[in-house]
Amino acid sequence: MKIGDKFIEVKRVAKQVDKFTFRKFLCIILSAYHLIILPYAWSQVKNPDTYTYLTISDVDSMDPAWSYDTASHLQILNVYEPLLAYKGSSTEELEPLIATKIPTPANGLISKDSLTYTFPIRKGVVFHDGTPLTPEDVKYGLMRFMLQDRDAGPSSLLLEPILGYPATRDEKGKINEAVFKDADRAIQVKGDNVVVHLKRPYAPFLTILAQWGVVVSKKWAAANGDWDGTEATWEKYNNPKKESAPFFDKMNGTGPFLLERWDKKNKEIVLLRNDHYWRKPARLKRVITKGVDEFATRKLMLQAGDADAIYADRPVFPQVQNLEGVQIIDELPTMEMNPTPFFTFHIDTTANPDIGSGKLDGNGIPPDFFSDKDIRKGFAHAFDYSSFIQDVQRGKGTRATGCIPRSLPGHNPKQKWYDYDLKKAQEHFKKAWKGEVWKKGFQFTLTFNSGNVPRQTLCQIIKRNVESINPKFKIDVRPVQWSTFLDRMNTSKLPMFVLGWNADFPDPHNFAFPFMHSKGNFPGLQKYKNPQADRLVEDSIKEVIPAKRKAIYAKLLQLEYEDAPHLVLVDTVRYRTQRNWIKGWYHNPVFPDSPYGSYFYPIYKE
Amino acid sequence: MLAFILRRLALLPLVALGVTLLLFGLLQFLTPEMRASLYIKDPRQLSAMEAVIQKYKLRDPFPVQYGVWLKQLLGGDLGYSETAKMPVGEAVRAFFPATFELALFSFFPILTIGIWLGTQSAVKKDKFIDQVSRFMAITGYSLPSFVLGLVLLMIFYGHLKLLPPGRFSLETDLLIHSENFRQYTGLLLADSILNRKLWVFWDGFKHLILPSITLCYINVALLVRITRSSMLEEINKDYVRTARAKGLSESVVINKHARKNALIPVITLSSLLFVGILGGVVITETVFNYPGIGRWGVNAAQQLDIPGVIGFALLYSCLFVLGNLVADTLYAYVDPRIRLK
Repeated sequence: MKIGDKFIEVKRVAKQVDKFTFRKFLCIILSAYHLIILPYAWSQVKNPDTYTYLTISDVDSMDPAWSYDTASHLQILNVYEPLLAYKGSSTEELEPLIATKIPTPANGLISKDSLTYTFPIRKGVVFHDGTPLTPEDVKYGLMRFMLQDRDAGPSSLLLEPILGYPATRDEKGKINEAVFKDADRAIQVKGDNVVVHLKRPYAPFLTILAQWGVVVSKKWAAANGDWDGTEATWEKYNNPKKESAPFFDKMNGTGPFLLERWDKKNKEIVLLRNDHYWRKPARLKRVITKGVDEFATRKLMLQAGDADAIYADRPVFPQVQNLEGVQIIDELPTMEMNPTPFFTFHIDTTANPDIGSGKLDGNGIPPDFFSDKDIRKGFAHAFDYSSFIQDVQRGKGTRATGCIPRSLPGHNPKQKWYDYDLKKAQEHFKKAWKGEVWKKGFQFTLTFNSGNVPRQTLCQIIKRNVESINPKFKIDVRPVQWSTFLDRMNTSKLPMFVLGWNADFPDPHNFAFPFMHSKGNFPGLQKYKNPQADRLVEDSIKEVIPAKRKAIYAKLLQLEYEDAPHLVLVDTVRYRTQRNWIKGWYHNPVFPDSPYGSYFYPIYKE
Repeated sequence: MLAFILRRLALLPLVALGVTLLLFGLLQFLTPEMRASLYIKDPRQLSAMEAVIQKYKLRDPFPVQYGVWLKQLLGGDLGYSETAKMPVGEAVRAFFPATFELALFSFFPILTIGIWLGTQSAVKKDKFIDQVSRFMAITGYSLPSFVLGLVLLMIFYGHLKLLPPGRFSLETDLLIHSENFRQYTGLLLADSILNRKLWVFWDGFKHLILPSITLCYINVALLVRITRSSMLEEINKDYVRTARAKGLSESVVINKHARKNALIPVITLSSLLFVGILGGVVITETVFNYPGIGRWGVNAAQQLDIPGVIGFALLYSCLFVLGNLVADTLYAYVDPRIRLK
């Protein structure tokens, strides 16, 4: 039989197969696949001892004294340990970690004048390289954090409370030689204790320590070419090049995980369980943090079980809902005020097209346009807060009542803020600049950094509502690159700008100062100064009795309402997207990159 | 010929120098504050703006900044790329092999399919195959690569769970970073063979399929159209008629006579395509989370990472010069009338 004949024969036999039987057979196979194999595949925990988190953020440096970004601090949180930590989900209650007790006035570890803190240091803790931790290492860690003091770094967070000045160099960059002696005097090792003397009472000191004061090994640092802890050499390590420090891409902490590798090429950080941890070792063996820029790819990897948690923000919420095997945990509080529109009280006019003619003639604004309170109040009443929460936050979150978010003490839920009321807005605009604004109108440019959708929507809401009040009011909305935005904002050229703030540590001071004090981050750019606000902020930091502090903040928030140097919009809540086989996770807004990144120690897969 | 190649290669440093001078000059149009945005990413850091400008000497005059950079370069140091978090030279060595692998893997299908389909659609003008190639060219050319990439990823990874994104799986990741695997070339497929780990080869291969198909589908379109029009021009020429008249078989007429003459524009385009892919394919790399050089280049440009941008531009200009050189040499090969002097 030829091959062609064979083929015809096979075809003839195939035709004889009962079509009905064949369909039945197909049905059985498909149902078996759906009923048995697929659910089995879904319920299977993929890589049970490896946790993979996909993010978009890049780590800047692994050095605890250098990093000032959440991606880096997420790794630092899991590898290094501070003296104290936040207890569970609390942002107020602390628990001992490397210290064995929390200093309080009651146990005598905080002196009566609130200036001296004593930390008994835990014994039997070893660094990842095997060297035992000593009180000397605790001192070294704090000293290194302060004395490294790189430009635009976090050192001032400890310099300010401990030494009473924010920097180790003057404005011209000259090193203040007294710093080492001051720090050496302020932090002392006494037996098994480390004693810290503050310059003045500083209410948030312990919360700052819990976030920033991690312990590093002095011996390891010196052996790897970093500062040896002596006065003779400290200046050499002041304001260094990032990549020159061994701490940049190596880590040697005491925490539940150790750094296996930082693969910069594949944007991947792999942490390995520390089997010699002083507490019970973690249940996860490996934690991988991977950079995946594209959301759709992150989502597919989560669905396939190749990722256990992913970064997903509010705009993509509908796309992660109802995914098989994926869990969403929503309404998680944050420590941020984002976004916030700020008014510039004295705008720089040099080469500045954003203020049009620079005069109050309907084609521009004068440089001190926003110094008139009625203008600011007009804008505050013209903003549609509810629509903003609905459109941008998809209805999640609550209206902010001041610059201190809900998750922190000092927040006052009863504090009044402006309502969306175009009539009231109109009244204020009519009073502003003795009626000139209403008569002649104005025109200026409202700028935001391009690519930021919530900020864009916010600017459009302002434009739409304010322009609807009077046809002579004109606002141009313009997106610019971050670099341009930064340049113009830093030189006070933007009449109004939109930015956000994430807390460094969970204390109201970390919002009161940057938002209200004339030397704070935003008022400095806005040229806003109210001596009363300055005084209140300064008083609040010295006050260690919580009730009295709260009363001071209540006054400050009232002043914020009356002055309206910026608009507060929403107390943001976030959500977390993870596989439902993840167990043990808990939220604390203090954790860097929270709620996406986490403290990996309690997590396991089941 | 050799003299020609050497002369062109000798020009390479000059071209590179020109590129860096031009780029450095253009970047000076940005204010020091704008260039400081690389180091200041958060409102918390704003107060340190001036200190950062001083530290990185961003306010120095152009010749001073360029001089410092050039001096550094002569010492073999291309500077530190803030976006890659490593020295520029190291960044190129880290990212380039992945892109090179992807380029090799997708370029040969592009070339074969492009030339074959182009020839066929010219020979069988307006027939079925021509219509198919026209359809492919139009869709390939108008389909954004992120759409095609995502659709492929959804089908082959999301639904069929066959071809995952990234460059390798977790198992490979753990192996290649362990002591049991030596990285000789940085090319995963080559290294896996040298280490005699065939499953790693298979893993790497699987991860290359989807990005290659995406690149192939999108880039083949232009090549098909160019080959087709160039072929159409050739097969209507007298020498083709003569060849047919003297009784040569159709395949010899088309494949040997006409196609060889039609290849000149195809070579030009192919060399450009290859260099283009080697210089990074940002969107494909982003969608498939493939750690190639394109993402680094774009990141560096967006964040004004000047050493990164210049390092990337240097690499690209060298690739471009070399690509053109290869094309010129190939012209002489396919058409002996062209003499390289």
